[in-house]
Formats: sequence, structure tokens, C-alpha cells
Amino acid sequence: MDPFLTSRIVTDILGGLTNGVIYGMVALSLVLIWRSTGVLNFAQGAMPMFATYVGFALLSYHFSYWWCVVACVIAGVLIGGLTERLLVRPLYGKPEINPIVVMVGYLIVLEAVAAAIWSSFPRSLPSPFSSIHWQLAGKPFALSPFIVYEIASGLLVMIAVAVLFRFTKLGLQLRASAVAPEVSRLLGVRVGRLLTLGWMLSTVVGVITTILVSSNFFSGLTPQINDGIFAFGFIAAAIGGLESPVGAIVAGVVLGIVNQFVTDYVNQNAVIIIALALLVVSLMIRPSGVFTKPSERRV
Amino acid sequence: MKLNDPRLRVQVAVIAAIAATVISLVSAGSTREGVAYALVLDLVIACATTLSLPDLKTHHPVLFRATLTLLGVDVAISITRFLSSSTNFNLATGAAMSIVLLGLSFLTGASGQISLGNGAFMGVGAFAMAIWANHHATTPVVLTLLIAVACGALVGLLLGLPATRLRGPYLAGMTLAFAVAFTFILSSFSSWTGGDSGLQLPTEAVAPRWLDGFFHAGTSPLTTTTLYITDVAIVVAGVAFFFMANLFASRIGRSMRLIRDNDVAAELVGISLPRTRVTAFIVSSAYAALGGALLTLIDNSVSPATYSFALSVTILSLIVIGGIGTISGALIGGVIYAFSTNVISWITNQTGLNPQGNFASQLNGIIFGGLLILTMLFAPLGIAGAARHFWHRVRSRT
Amino acid sequence: MTITGTALLLCLGLVTAGTSIVGAGAATKKVPGVTATQITIGATEPETGIAASGYNQVAKAADAVFKYVNKHGGIYGRKIKYVIKDDCYGTPGFGCTGVPNTATQTHALLGIPVFATVGSLGTPTQDSVRALLKGDDVPQLFVASGSQDWNNPHQYPGLFGWQPSYNEESKIFAKYINATYPNASVCFLGQGDDFGTDGLAGLIAGGITPTAESLYSVGALVTTNGASIAPYIQQFQSDKCTIVVLDTIPGATDAAIGAALQLSYSPQWVISSVGSDPQTVDAPFVGKVPTDPEIGAISFSYLPTTTTNSPWIPWITKVIEADPADFPGFTSTSVLNGNIAYGAAYGVAFVEALRATGKNLTRASFLKTLQSVTFSQTPSLVPLRYTTSNHQGLNGGYVTTVISDAAMKPLTGTVYTTDSSTTGPVIVAKTKSSGIPAWLK
Repeated sequence: MDPFLTSRIVTDILGGLTNGVIYGMVALSLVLIWRSTGVLNFAQGAMPMFATYVGFALLSYHFSYWWCVVACVIAGVLIGGLTERLLVRPLYGKPEINPIVVMVGYLIVLEAVAAAIWSSFPRSLPSPFSSIHWQLAGKPFALSPFIVYEIASGLLVMIAVAVLFRFTKLGLQLRASAVAPEVSRLLGVRVGRLLTLGWMLSTVVGVITTILVSSNFFSGLTPQINDGIFAFGFIAAAIGGLESPVGAIVAGVVLGIVNQFVTDYVNQNAVIIIALALLVVSLMIRPSGVFTKPSERRV
Repeated sequence: MKLNDPRLRVQVAVIAAIAATVISLVSAGSTREGVAYALVLDLVIACATTLSLPDLKTHHPVLFRATLTLLGVDVAISITRFLSSSTNFNLATGAAMSIVLLGLSFLTGASGQISLGNGAFMGVGAFAMAIWANHHATTPVVLTLLIAVACGALVGLLLGLPATRLRGPYLAGMTLAFAVAFTFILSSFSSWTGGDSGLQLPTEAVAPRWLDGFFHAGTSPLTTTTLYITDVAIVVAGVAFFFMANLFASRIGRSMRLIRDNDVAAELVGISLPRTRVTAFIVSSAYAALGGALLTLIDNSVSPATYSFALSVTILSLIVIGGIGTISGALIGGVIYAFSTNVISWITNQTGLNPQGNFASQLNGIIFGGLLILTMLFAPLGIAGAARHFWHRVRSRT
Repeated sequence: MTITGTALLLCLGLVTAGTSIVGAGAATKKVPGVTATQITIGATEPETGIAASGYNQVAKAADAVFKYVNKHGGIYGRKIKYVIKDDCYGTPGFGCTGVPNTATQTHALLGIPVFATVGSLGTPTQDSVRALLKGDDVPQLFVASGSQDWNNPHQYPGLFGWQPSYNEESKIFAKYINATYPNASVCFLGQGDDFGTDGLAGLIAGGITPTAESLYSVGALVTTNGASIAPYIQQFQSDKCTIVVLDTIPGATDAAIGAALQLSYSPQWVISSVGSDPQTVDAPFVGKVPTDPEIGAISFSYLPTTTTNSPWIPWITKVIEADPADFPGFTSTSVLNGNIAYGAAYGVAFVEALRATGKNLTRASFLKTLQSVTFSQTPSLVPLRYTTSNHQGLNGGYVTTVISDAAMKPLTGTVYTTDSSTTGPVIVAKTKSSGIPAWLK
């Protein structure tokens, strides 16, 4: 058993799963916002980053890690809600390039303000579990307590959100508010509130992702920490289909594992190139994503 | 003869031109400089005369645009002689950037597609220029620029083909992935691209002998070289603007605007959606490649770090602030790019902030990003659009 | 178009054409950047952006030295003005708020004008402006990089390096490894530019045959927040290397050490001076591991470490403390780090060269002095010596070990010198630096 578990293939799969969970969460947050408000959120990495900075500022007041996580989540809820109200609300009904550009500007401002307040120097965050990999028969195994925590939290969050979205009344209301706001209002749904809720939820998922990523052993929290992950999360969301939360999760995990294999068997430069190729091929075959039904165009 | 008579104007113009030539030759001696200045004056007079002909704009629009461009280029080149070499350098960079902005303005405004990859297309042109120049040092500059444009167009075709079927966010996503992947593509071919260090052009750009008189300003070799480069940039930008103006007004431009506003109607009229979309993409990437190649010429070197995703974001931001879908927007964006650092350092000085401190060093990002948000919320057509709107309102009052 | 319009256009045209005749550029000063009371020099530095952490202190430390000298009357009555332009290492993004284009920033410096550029940082950045500076006869002094590109006196007579080359550092490492760990299995991880390739060449020239050698890309490092280094370390572990040589920037050093910790792999680290500064490298591990994982690593220094009793240490501390604008919060008990020591050292070298040139300061006389005088009273361990055929700069130092999260100490204290060739031997330094000149105290 041990030789199998420490073999190259298993190591790559487990390593890829770690990244894949992260990409899946980013993809999921993008899909949440797309499904609930029809906006492609380029600040999807920057908003949770800012919330994480705010939450972990409590560290200097000697709060424990878990209290800081709670603070980050609260900050995420606030930032998500305020953003939807103040920046996104005025743009409904405008050409679709408008919110994209506003979110890009928002991304630039958030990163600049975070660096102005806390500087760009990596900020070390405590991690609640050890990052030392377990050893099996003297050879290092791909998992460590921290990685298990990372994968478990990620899967938990993703499944919880997907279940909420697809199987609960709240989820139904969220979906309805996006697709048919007038009808929903007539049925008594507080559409405005739900749109804000969609953004809050998405930001909280992002906050959890950011905390996991920045509790990384040897790097730390920087204003740019989510930039690289955003690209891969985006690719995963586009491949899986911006309409499908399940698609986002699956595509993210698969992409993470594929990336790991490419890094191991080819080289690092090839990773994003192959991801781009996968994206192009996937979009040529299914332009609206693998997991979404092709929509008809209304004439 | 009435004063409005075109023939009278032409006669006046000819007399003025002869007078101008004589004056410059006398004042500057029958040197190369004298001939050069005489040509400048004659050109200005010719342009002014042509522009004053009645109904030129409506009956001969291409000639009108050509004359306007020629006059603009002429004025710009004359002004560069008066400026310091670092200002000229910034102007040259701004001119190169405005070409790129033209391409993106066309793509987003005229045809409604979003591209987040124009920084990478710039890089294609920039590296094509450097690689070719290093292997074939004797090729004339104009030809190398055209080769770079061809490379950009080719890559645009490759990416544009899958793009035809994609809706807004998916297209944005694909171009984003390309922009992020570009630097890694460059690293994969590091024997051609020079790896992290990039490439230098084999020789510094020097004015050809027959133009010597124009650039021999009597100051240091640096000023002369920078002057030459800036003037080349302005001329290339002028040509690019001229073509784009004609493209906007042509049948292709009209087809694209129809697709942007109502793609179903366009199909009903017989416009081929995929073909037009790909054409727009190719035009935008060709322009970006031209801008990138020009930048390589200006910097005399090319480095992969410059052509990152952040550059694509900058390009989008500049054209949004300048005005999507407009030509003047590209010009405004280019000017902002050229001089924004000067403005920011002026602001830092005025407000007494510590220039090395955290806040001042992030001021650029805060202002830029903030401008982007405010523009999109309150003036989505950018400065050019807002100016046009303002001009209409003033006009309708009088 | 109306008559008025035509007339306006004609006037505009005549005016602009007229100015093109009149405007002939400002008269140039006698020696650019030098007046009776001031010398203006410039540098392009990564003050913000991807390379900023740590490196943004280098030029500021040199500036502190210049401010100190200015307070004491300057050099022959001329005060030094150091204009630092932020070029973000030529890379946009990552919080860059300067102009991420070295050519643009260099042009801005030349427009001031400056007497020379002093201490500009980066290999690709400074490579890209060599021709520009040469074309304007501006000396490009003390480039902050260990590349051998600065040692090209025939093509670039005004271009000078300062720190020992990566090649020289590796040869000295190789000598130490061969003497102390004979027959050990050595693995090499270097940056994917001449930092890594020159470093590897130096190791091999010094007689080491690495079991495994890898080059990492900075782009991948940044995009993956450091995770891209882990596969290399994993490979070194399966190859059972007992010594790992790192020619890495601090971010990659951290990634390598972190990956090894996770895999419970503890090789003997040998880290280039470029990426070994303890304060910078340890920062991400604070609070996550009980002790600084870099302790015990071997490195190299061409400046005296803070643990020695070199008189330069208190002098530099005094100078930095006296410059709160550049170093707010630095007190007499703060420990110097490698970046500050580096900047202060080349700052001292520059003022000494200025003084040695004499009151009649021209670019030609300065360069002549630089290539004929041996500067043995600067902070560096070995004297600074340039000749008309060698512009590399310092050529030696001693091997050190990291003893805490803030300091290193010399391992044997023997200072070695060598050259960048494959055959030049590593020898014990014949001459060493000797104290602070009286006029600088």
C-alpha cells in the first residue's frame, strides 16, 4: 500500500487536488455572481483579499486564528454587500462591458489601497495545522494536516453552496431573481436583497479561499495573492460553464490535477499554455461550457 | 473674383508657398535645414488650402482625412523640435500606445467584442520586431514594422477563429488566458526571445542620410536620436489613425456597428457574423502589434516582463477613460499614458506626501482605478464621449 | 471651411513652422549634472512592484550616505543630489506605481541631466539601457547585479559593475564545499537567467559536478505564490542530495526552504548572497515554526557582517539613523540588513571616487580616476579595483553562516578572491580593506 501511496501518480493527484479545490472555489464564486447578477467579477480575488487583511488585522490585538477567520467572514459579507449596492446596482441594464470595466478598476483600487495601508510586504498568517507532510515508510507522502484541512474545508464549502443553490428555497429565489426579476417581485421575493446576498455569499467563499491560500507555509498575505489563482479559476469556470455551480467545482478540481501532471511530466511554463489550449478547445466544442445546456438566442 | 473662389485660394497658396520657401532658404542658408523647413511650411500651406476648399468633407472624405492627418502630423513634428528629449521620449511612447488603443477602440466600440489580451498582441509585434532585426539587421525599418504587423494579424486570426462563437464573458476569459499565458509562451522559446532578459536591437535607430537635415539640431546625439524616433512614431501613428478613420467610415465599419447593436438584424441583412468578428479581431491585433513593434524601436530593446496581463488591463483602462469606439479617445488615452507619471509626481509634490511612503507610492493605482470606476459609472463614453455630448449641448443652445 | 478657419489654420501652421526654425534645443551645460555647488546623479530602482521588498532599501541607503556627506560640506563644496526613479524592475503590476519601463525612467534622468547613473538595479533592466547611456556618454556606474554584462570595457567604456560576479561567488562556494564536504552529493537550483547559469558555471569551474541542476522561472514563482519550486526540491530529495546550492532571490529561497520543511528534508543549504539576507528570508516563517529554518545555512558576504567589529558597522548605523526620511523608525539598536549595507557600501565608493578625482570634475577625469585608483577604504572586505580591461568590481569575500533571524557571521574568516574565468584559481586575499578614511568620519 505504502509504495502506491507515495508513488508519483498518487502524489500528483493529491497535490493537484489541493490546487484544484482552490480553483474550484474561485470558479464557484464567479459562477455565483454570474448566475445571480449577470456580472463577470474581475475583482473576485481582490475583494476577499481586502476582507482577509481587515480580519487578520485583529491578530495584532491578540485574537486567535479562529476568531480572525470569523472576522474575515464578517468583513467579506460587508464588502460583498456594499459592492453590490454601490458599484453594481447602478450598472444593471447597461452594456455588459460596463460592469467588467468597473470591476477591473475596483481590482486596481483594492490592491492599491491594501498596499497603501498594509504595504506589499508578505504578511505571515498563522496556520492552525502543521504543514509537515506525513512520512510513509520513510518517504514523504503528499498530504499534511494542513493540506487535509485545506481540501476538507474547500470541499465542504463548495458542496454546501452548491446544495444551497440547487436544493433550497433560498437558492431557488436567488436563481429566480437573476433570471426573472419582475416575476419574482410579483411573487413576493425581495429581489434586491437576494442580489446582494448572492454577492455576499460569493465573497465569503472567496474569503475562505484566500485564508487557505495565504496560510501557506512560506509565503504570506500580499495584495496580489489571488491574482494567479484568479486566472485558473476563470478558466475552470469558463470550461465548466458560467451557468453551472457543479460544473465550476468539477472543472476546477480537474484543472488542478491536470496542472499538477503537466508540471511533473512536462515543465512549469507549459501549465498555463496547456490550460489555455484546453480552454480554447473546450469553448470551440461547447461555447457555453461543458456543463450548461446550449441556450437558444431570442430573436 | 470672390474670396471663396477655390481658384483664387490656390493662386494665393502657390504665392505663399514660394514666399515661404524663399524666406526659409534665405534665413537658414541653402543648407539641408533650410530645405527641410521650407518643405514644412509648404506642406502646411498646402494642407490649409486644401482644407479650406468647400464641401471637401462631404465629397472627398478620404482626401479630407488625409489632409487633416498630414496637417496634424506636420504640426506635431514641428512641436517636437521645441521639447526636451525626455518629453519627446514620453510622446513617442504615447504615440505607440495610442495606436494600440485605436485597435481596441475599434474592437470594443465598433464591434462590441471585449479583448483582455491586447497587451499580449503588443508583445507579439514587439518580439517579432526584435527577433527579425537581430537576424536581419539590414532590413529597412518600415519593412520590419510591417512584418511585425503581419505576425500580429496572424496570431489574431488564430485566436479570432475560436472567438467568433463566444459570447461576452467567454471571449473576455479566453483573451485573459492568452494574456496570462503569453509570458510563459515567451519563456518556452527562450532561445529566440532571450528568456527573462529579453532582446536588444542590434543598432540604435539613426536617421537615414537623406533626412539628415531635418534632425541635425545641433545638440547632443541623444537628442537627435530621440527626435528621430519620436518623429517616426508620430508619422506611423498618423498613418494608423488615417487608416482607422477610413475603416470606421467604410462598409466594414458600418457592418460592425450593426452587429454590435443588433446581431440578428445584421445576419438578416446578409452580413456574415463570424467573418466580420474575425476581421475586427485581426484589425485590433494588427494594430496592437504595430504599437508593440514601435515601442521596441523606441526603447531599442524588448523585455517579456513588459507584456504581462497588467499591460492588457492598462490598455483597456486607457481606452475606457479616453472613450471606447472613438478615434479621439485613443489619442486622449495615449496622452494620458505618456504623461500620467508626471501628473502623479506633481500631485505628490503639491500635497506634500512623502514620495517614498506607502500611500504616495500607491497613488497611481488609486487614481487610475478610481478614474476607471467613476468613468464607467458616470461617463461610460469616456472623455471623448463626454466632450462630444457637451459640444452637442452647447451647439443646440446657440 | 470659412475664410476665418483658413486664416486660423494658416497662422497656426506658420507659427509652428516658425518655432521649428527657432527652437534648437537648450544650450548644454559644461559638464552635465555638475555645477559649482551640486552634483546630480540618478538611478532606476525597484522602489515598488515585484522586486521591491528588500531591494527598495538599497538606493535609499546610498542616499543616506550622500546626505551625511552633504551635511559635512559635500565633496569640494558640491552637494550630491541622488535622483531615484522607480522602474518596478521593468515589470508592471504587483503594486507597481512607478513607470515599469527602464528606458523611460532613464530618459527622464538624462533629461535632468545627470552626471552619471549610480547603483541602478537589475540585469535585464540595465542591459536594456546600456546603448542609450553610451550614446549620450553618461557613465553607468556600480550596477547592482552580479552579471558579467557590466565587464565589457571595449564596447561600453563607461559601464561598471560593483559586486562580485555570480560566477566568482560560486567558485568560492565550490572551494569551501570541496574542502569541507568532499564527495558530498550536491544539487543546484538557480534562477532562469544569468544569475542561475553563471552561478552553475562557477560551481562547475570550481570542481563540483551537481547530481541535479534546475532553473526556475520568476514568472511561475510569482503566479503560483512559490509552489512552483516544490517539485525541484522533491527531486533533490529523491536524488538524496546532502547539499543544495541556491542561486535564488529571497522569494525563491523561502519557497525552497519551505518546501524542504514540508518534506522533512534537511540538506545543508548554500545560498547566494543575493537571496540569503536573514531578515528578509525569515520573515514568512515567523510564528509558523519554532526556529528560523535558515539558521545554519551557508552564504557568502563581501561586506563585513554585523557580528564582526568592523568600524563600518557603527558608521553605517549612524548614517542610516541620521536619515529618518528614508528610514523611519531606524534607531541605534536596529540591526543592519544586507540591503542597507550594500547601498551604503557603493555610496561610500562613489564619494571616495569623487574625492579622488579632484575639484576639476568631468566625466573623463572621473572615469580615469576610477580605473587607476585602488579604493581600499570602503566597507567591502577586499579593495575596490577597476582597470581599463576589467570593470567587474569587487572580486572576493568570505563564506558565512546564518546564526539568527537577523544576522550572519563569518565561518572561517578567511577572505578569498578569484575571477570570473573558468580557470582562475580561488586564492586567499592578498590585501584587505583598511578602515574608514579620516575625512569621512
